[in-house]
Amino acid sequence: MMKKKMLYTVLSVLMALSLLLAACAPAATPTEAPAEPAVEEPVVEEPVEPAEPEEPMEEGPCLIIGALHGGPINDAGYNQAMHESVAAIAENIECVEIIEAENVPEEAGATATMENMISEGAGMIIATAFNHQYPALELAGKYPDVIFEHAGGWEMSGNFANFFGEPPDAWYMMGVAAGRMTETNKLGFVAAFPLGWSLTFANAFHLGAVSVNPDVETTVSFTFSWGDSAKEADTTNALINQGVDVITMHVDSPATIISTAESRGAYSIGFQSLHAQQFAPEYWISGTGYTLGGTLTWLTSTVLDGTWEPIFLRCSLWDGCMAMAPFGPKVPQEVQDEVMAVSAALESGETVVFTGPILDQEGNVVVAEGDVLTDDVMSSVDWLVQGMVGSPK
Amino acid sequence: MTLLSILGVLSSAIFSGTSLLYTTLGEIIDQRAGIVNLGLEGVLLISGATGIAVTSLTGNPYLGVLSAALVGGATNLILGFLVVTRRGNQLASGLALMFFGFGASALIGKSFVGLKINGLPRLTIPGFGNLPPRYLSLIQFDTLIYLAIPCTLLIWWLLFRTRWGLGVRAVGENADTAFASGRSPHLIKYQALFVGGMLAGLGAAHLTIAYTLNWTEYMMGGRGFIAVALVIFSKWHPIRAIVGALLFSGAVAFQLLLQASGVQISPFLLDTIPYLLTILVLIVWGGSRKHSAPASLGRVYMGTE
Repeated sequence: MMKKKMLYTVLSVLMALSLLLAACAPAATPTEAPAEPAVEEPVVEEPVEPAEPEEPMEEGPCLIIGALHGGPINDAGYNQAMHESVAAIAENIECVEIIEAENVPEEAGATATMENMISEGAGMIIATAFNHQYPALELAGKYPDVIFEHAGGWEMSGNFANFFGEPPDAWYMMGVAAGRMTETNKLGFVAAFPLGWSLTFANAFHLGAVSVNPDVETTVSFTFSWGDSAKEADTTNALINQGVDVITMHVDSPATIISTAESRGAYSIGFQSLHAQQFAPEYWISGTGYTLGGTLTWLTSTVLDGTWEPIFLRCSLWDGCMAMAPFGPKVPQEVQDEVMAVSAALESGETVVFTGPILDQEGNVVVAEGDVLTDDVMSSVDWLVQGMVGSPK
Repeated sequence: MTLLSILGVLSSAIFSGTSLLYTTLGEIIDQRAGIVNLGLEGVLLISGATGIAVTSLTGNPYLGVLSAALVGGATNLILGFLVVTRRGNQLASGLALMFFGFGASALIGKSFVGLKINGLPRLTIPGFGNLPPRYLSLIQFDTLIYLAIPCTLLIWWLLFRTRWGLGVRAVGENADTAFASGRSPHLIKYQALFVGGMLAGLGAAHLTIAYTLNWTEYMMGGRGFIAVALVIFSKWHPIRAIVGALLFSGAVAFQLLLQASGVQISPFLLDTIPYLLTILVLIVWGGSRKHSAPASLGRVYMGTE
C-alpha cells in the first residue's frame, strides 16, 4: 500500500510539473490531447508565470503595457511580427514599460495572464491572438480603468478597441507578382483552416493574379492546423506535384512551407513576418508582413495624453501598418515595376480589390456589379472566386 | 491527375512515413516487452526538439540525429522508472510522460523556433541525376530513409532471431516464466524501453531534421498516437509496420492530392480519411488481435518474491 501511495505522489508531482511547463507552451492543435489534467488535479500554484520577474523600480514608468501573444515570439511568422510591433512602442516612447507574455494559447490562460499584468500595474493591454478577443473584452468590463486593444478583432466597448493591418490589398499585389512569375499558370495557397479571412486573402491573391494573367488558376489546400509542419510540407509537395510553381500561405509560421518550396524549386511568397525571406534565398518572389509599431506607438501616445478613444482601427500598407519584403533575385525589373504600379493604383483607390461583379466557383454572383465587398463581410467569406481550385467548406 | 502527382503521393508517403515507421518500430519493442507507451508523443517532441537544438548549435545534422536518438532512449527510461521500478499504471504514467513532453520540448525548443537549420543531406541515386528537377526532388532521399528498411529487418532479427529478442518477448508474454528461466524482467524491460525510445528518437529526428527542417511547438500533431495504432495494425510485427506507416502517410498525401486537384468534397471530410482508414483497419483486423498481442501487455510485473 505504501508503494502505491508513493507512486501516486510521484505521479501527481509529475502531472503538476507538466502542467506548469505546459503553461509556458502554446495550445496543441485542436485535434489532439483532449485530456486536460487541470480538471482532476487541483493545482496549488498559479499555472501562469509573468513573462518577466518583477523588479523594483526607481522611477515609475509613465505607462505599463501588458502584451500577450498566442505563440512563440521568434516564429518568423505572425507572433514575431506582433512582438516587434509591440517592442517598437518602448523604443519610441522611452518611459513606457512593457510586460510581455508569449505562448499563451488558451482563453483561460489569457484571462489569468492579463489579470496578472493588471495586478502588476498594467494600464494598457494589447492582446494579439485571435482567440483572446473575448477574454479581453470580458476583462475590459471588469477593469474599466484599463485600456484594451486587440489585434484584428471586431468587438468594441468603452475601453476596448482593436487595430490591424489591411492584408487584402497586399495580397492583391502579391497576386500580381505571382501571376507574372508563374510559368505553369498554377498558383498554390496553403491555408490552415477554411476561415473567412484565409479565404479572403486567397481570393485577393487570385484576383491580383488574374488581373495580369487571365489563365492563372489558384489552388487552395488546407492543413487543418496552424502549426503541423510535416503536414505543411506534405501539402506544399502535393501542390507542387500538381504543377503549381508559386506557393504562398496563411499559417502561423511560413518557415516549413517556404523551405519545402525552395527545395523543390518552386517560387514562394511570404506572409505574416518579413523574416520569412531567409528560408528562400533563391526562389523568393516577395512577401508582406505586419509592421504595426508606428500605429501602436500612436495609440499609446493617445493613452498617455488622455485622448484615447475606442476606434475600429484599420490601416494599410501605405500607412506603414504592413510592409512588403524586398523582391527576390529572380524577379525581373518589369515585374517589380508593375507590382509597384499596382500598389500606387490601390493606394489612390483607382483599383479596389473586391469590386463587383465577382462570381464564386459555381458561378453565383457574390459581389454584384457596382458593389464592393466591405471589411465586415470579409471575415465571414465562405466562397472562392471562380477559377480557383479547392473546396471552401 | 498527372504522373508527377501520382509519383508525388508515393514520394510523400515515403518522406512522411519514415518517421512513423521508426516510431512504430520503437513502440513494437516497448510493447513486446509488455509495456504500452502512451507517452510516445512526448518522447517524439522531446527528441525532436533536442535534435533541432543540437543541429542548430553544432551545424551537424548527424550529431542532431544521434542526440535525438539518445534523448529518446533516455526519455523512455523515465517511463521505465515509473512503470518498472515504481510499478505504476502504464496508461497513467504514459499520459503523464506525454504532458511532460509537451512542456519539456517547448522549453528545449524555445530559442530554436523559426531558425533555419542545415538538414540531413538529400542524396541523388546514381544514374538518375539527369531527371527534370521536379521529378528528381521526389527521389532524393536522405540517409535515414535509406536506413529505414535495413533497420526494420534488423529489429525483426533482434526480436525473433536473437537470445535478447527471445528474452524481450518472453517478458512480454509472461514475466514470471521469464524470471524462472533465469532472466531479469526489470533489466530487459529497461533495455527494451531504451532501444524503443532510441527508435522513436530517430523518427522524430527524421521529421524535424530531414523533412520539415524547423521546429514548431507541438509539431508532432498526434503522430505518437498514430504509431500506437500502427503497432496494433502491424500485429506487433516489424515487417508489417512498413505497410502500416506507408499506408497512413500515403492516405494523408492522397487526400491532399484530392484537395489540390479540385475534387468538390469538403476538405473537412477529406482530412479525416487517414484516421478513418486507421479505424477501419483496426476494426477489420481487430478480431484476430488476441492471438498476436503480447499476453501480459500493460500488466504490472510485481516481481517474484
